[in-house]
Order: sequence, then C-alpha cells, then structure tokens
Amino acid sequence: MSQVTQEPYCHTPIPAGVWQQLRGVLDPEIDESILELGFVESLRFTGDELQVELRFPTTWCSPNFAYMMAEDVRRSLLDVGSVRQVLVLLKDHFTAERIEAAVNAGRSFKDAFPEEALSNLDELRLYFLQKGFLKRQEGLLRSLLQARLSYMEIAGLAVGDLEISDDVCRIRRDDGRWSAIDSTEQADRYLRRRAQLGLDCSQTAALVTDVFGDSIPADRLRQHYIMARTVRVAQEANSSMCCALLDARKRGLSR
Amino acid sequence: MYRTADGEEIFVIDGHMHFWDARPENWRNKYGEGWIRCFYDYHTSLSPEEYLWSFEKYCKYDEETLVNDLFFEGYVDVGIFNSTYLTEFYKEGFNTHRQNNVLKQKYPERFILCGTFDPRQEAQGLEELRQMARDYPVQGIKLYTAEWRDGSRGWSLADEWAYKHLEVCQELGIKNIHIHKGPTIYPLDKDAFDVHDVDHAATDFPELNFIVEHVGLPRLDDFCWIAQQESNVYAGLAVAIAFIHSRPRYFAEILANLLYWLGPEKLLFGSDYALWSPKWLVEKFINFELPVDVQEEYGVELSMETKRKVLGENAARLYGIDITARQEQLRQDSIGRQLAEFS
Repeated sequence: MSQVTQEPYCHTPIPAGVWQQLRGVLDPEIDESILELGFVESLRFTGDELQVELRFPTTWCSPNFAYMMAEDVRRSLLDVGSVRQVLVLLKDHFTAERIEAAVNAGRSFKDAFPEEALSNLDELRLYFLQKGFLKRQEGLLRSLLQARLSYMEIAGLAVGDLEISDDVCRIRRDDGRWSAIDSTEQADRYLRRRAQLGLDCSQTAALVTDVFGDSIPADRLRQHYIMARTVRVAQEANSSMCCALLDARKRGLSR
Repeated sequence: MYRTADGEEIFVIDGHMHFWDARPENWRNKYGEGWIRCFYDYHTSLSPEEYLWSFEKYCKYDEETLVNDLFFEGYVDVGIFNSTYLTEFYKEGFNTHRQNNVLKQKYPERFILCGTFDPRQEAQGLEELRQMARDYPVQGIKLYTAEWRDGSRGWSLADEWAYKHLEVCQELGIKNIHIHKGPTIYPLDKDAFDVHDVDHAATDFPELNFIVEHVGLPRLDDFCWIAQQESNVYAGLAVAIAFIHSRPRYFAEILANLLYWLGPEKLLFGSDYALWSPKWLVEKFINFELPVDVQEEYGVELSMETKRKVLGENAARLYGIDITARQEQLRQDSIGRQLAEFS
C-alpha cells in the first residue's frame, strides 16, 4: 500500500532479527508496517543499546498513536537477543520529549500526559485491531468472490477449508474440490489478526466472522462485505494521506 | 461559475474556505506556528506543483489574492467562511467571524458567514451566541470540538451545554452546523477524529443540518454509518477532494463510498482555501470519472448531474439560495462586472 519505501539509515551494523521485529510493528490506524511506511529514520547499535529514530508524517501526528508505535518498537526490539536496551527517539514531533521519557522508561501513556490523558490506550488499540481485522478479511472475501464463490458458499466455509502453503492459497469448495484463490498474504494476515484478537481459530470454526468471532448468516454476508470494504477504504485513505505528507516532508517541500 | 465545453453553466459554492492571519506577529505561542506549518504540510503534500505557495505567502494572503483565487480564477460563485478561532494559538484569532465579516460586507452576495459557539462557556456562551447573531449576518455555525480552552483539550457535541447552544441556534434560525472532523490534534487518548457525537446531536436536532467537514477522515467508515442513518448529516468534501490530483484512485474509492452510503444529494464541495486552490480542484472534479471497476463494484456513477449537485446545488439548498436569482445578483456586483468584461 505504501508509496514511500525508504530504508532507514544505519549508523552501525545492526543485529540480525531487528528487521523482522520492526516489520511487525504496525501503524495502528493504517494497519501497515512502520518499516514499509518509511517511519523508521535511522538505527544505531552501540554496546548492547539500540537507538531507533522514528519520524512520522507530521509534527502533529496524534500523540496517542505516536506513543503506541514508540512503545511497540521498544517492546519488540527488546526481544532481540543481543539487544539489552532500546532508546526510541521521535524526530521533530511536538510531544517528542514526553513520549520519549515515558516510553524509554517503560511508563504508560497516562504517565506521559497525566493532566490530559483520561485513560490508557487499550480501548483505542482494540478498536483499531478490529478495524484491521475487517480490512484483512475484506481482502480475503474479495478473493473468494473473484473466485466465483457465492455468499451462501462463503458463509458455510470453516477455517479448515482454507489452506495456505508455499505462497499458494486454496479453498475447499462445496463439492470437495480445492480452488486456488489469489489471497495468500491477506489470508495469512487475517488469520494472524484473528488469533491476536483471541477469536476461535480451530479448523471447524466459521472462516468469516464478525469482530467478536460470531459467524455471519449468508443473507447478511453481502452487507457485511460492503461495510468491511468501507473500513478498508478509510484505512487506505489514511495511509495515502500519511504517505503524501511524509513524501513532501522528505522532499523538503514543507520546510 | 464553471462553463463546460458544451456551454453548460455550473454554479459553484465553495463550502469551506478561509481568510486567515497566521503571520508570525499573530502567533501567541509555538502552537500558532505549529498549526500553520501543519496546514502548509497538507498544502505541499497534495497540491499540484504549479499551485505551491511560499510559506510566507501562506501565512498571510491579502484580499485581492483571495478574490482572485476564488472568483476570477477558481470558478467560485459563493464561498462559505468556515470561521476558525484558535485564540489560544493566535493573538487575534486565526479567522474569526469578525475578521471574515470585512469581506462579507464588501461582497455580501459572494459570501456566507459562519460564526461559532463554545459550550464550555456555558451560560455566557449562550448570551454571546445571541449577541453574535444580532451583530453579524451569521448564517451558519462552524464548530471545532478539539479546540483548546482554559486547559480543556476538547468537548463533545453530545455535551449538555452543547445541546443548549444548539437549541439557541434552532431558535435563531441558524440551521447549518459545520463541524470539523478531520486532521490531527488533541484530545490525546480519545483522539479528536471521533465522529460519534454527531450521531446523537443529529438525532436530537432534526431541524438542524450537520455538515461533517472532511467526511470524518481518517474515520470515513464511522462517518458513513452515521450519515447513512441520519437524514440531516451531510459530507463536506474539503481535504478528501484534494486527493484528486496525487491519489486519484483513492479519491475515486472515497467518493464511491460516499455516493453509495449517502447519495449525491448530501455531498458538498469545499476547497478549504487557502489549504488548496479551488481552480484546480474544480477543473479536476469536473473532468473526473470513476474507474469502470469502481463504478461496477459500488453500483454508483458520477454523472454531470451529480457533479452539479456536489459543486453547488446541494449547498444552495441548505442555505436557501435560489441559484438563478443569485446569478443575476452576482452579475451586478463589482466582481461580476469585471468577470463580464473578461469574457
């Protein structure tokens, strides 16, 4: 989705494992990797400390999302064996100091903004995990519809009817035959998010559910798809806006 | 007015424009600078290169520039001043109804003036709202729920005191409530984009119209659910339409969603001038076509009739403007006379 694919600048050699961890950190609003979005500006590894410089599309990037990404970066990089300490820096962000101070000390969002934040970010995080769930599911649904499955047939599918292996994605049809569908990445991302939300991922569970894991009857599936499509478009519009802003910023147009 | 190749005249109401003062001497603090830089980021990110302004010009443009960019170059017939106050960031305000009224007085038929209220002022706010309606020709209200005031970082349209202010608007006959739901700022943990408060107010004030500026971006989906249910919720296309140049595919999908959920009667064009200039937005919109796959998938079309509605007819209906009569009036004012000379 991203138009900007700029590699972070590495001041020093960077331990193996860092890239994969960073790839897993998502912009919660967009549901895309911050690495692919180009938000990671530079990396420096000295001793056992990894310093990560992040730069968001604007100085005014919402502090709650900025905090979430900074926190996720720190947590995920602390899982890399050779990294004992992580220092996250926000380049040119209007609340950089407070977010850096809180995140790097492992303190909460509420600690960072005691007089302003009413609560921590768990609810907001969940809300966006659910939106991402719908976006990913929409990609899968689109592929199923393109493969000419009816809503009736889709409503009857179970998790076990989807098979992903070696970049090939297949679906077991009504008559027992397997059809290839063009959705390997989306399907995989969908199932991972489903697990992350704690929903039933067993082989017999319905493949297409709402965000709470409840199955959707065939006669409501078209409307569900149309709604999921709007959720996807909203996220892509955000992504597009962020990329445009970041792009202008990197081209130096805005300063 | 835009005249198509086959001579069809399209009446244009710019539903969202500003005449701001962001000169450094008007900055109250670092937020004044931050705010206009943020706007400038949007300007540079989405404008075609030939429409880029210098930062200095962007901070303060004069009357002549505005009149030229809207009426002489930009096809606009009537502009709606979306007054924006930000008095905690700008000493004299960013573009208050007092500032905007100067141009309204010079060209009364060319502008619609929006005022505002702030429910956090409680009873005093009600009095100020009445006073404003007595002193100024206010026809609409512009609200900004994320605006700062005395340590508060925002409010909700569903608040008790917001309701009391909306009751006064209704009583005064100020029917159109423009509410900003868009670009990033505070409050921190709730995030300022949340559009759900509009749902409550729209249900409880069926006689008022709620124009959600920037279609709730980045919450287009939440906005669509609300606007589809509430017959008095409209989509202000400012910001969304600026995608038309650099990200036309996304613009097509956003528009297809709006047409699908809201229909062609509820979308209002807005340039957000001087964020972007109406000239290129109007030209590109008139020539814009939805890709065939998008049309087929959503079952919507962007006909010239729909474009006419979006560009002017819908806003005219909300503000009780008789387009034929207004065109006649506009031909008579100083701008109209100059336009006639050029053509």
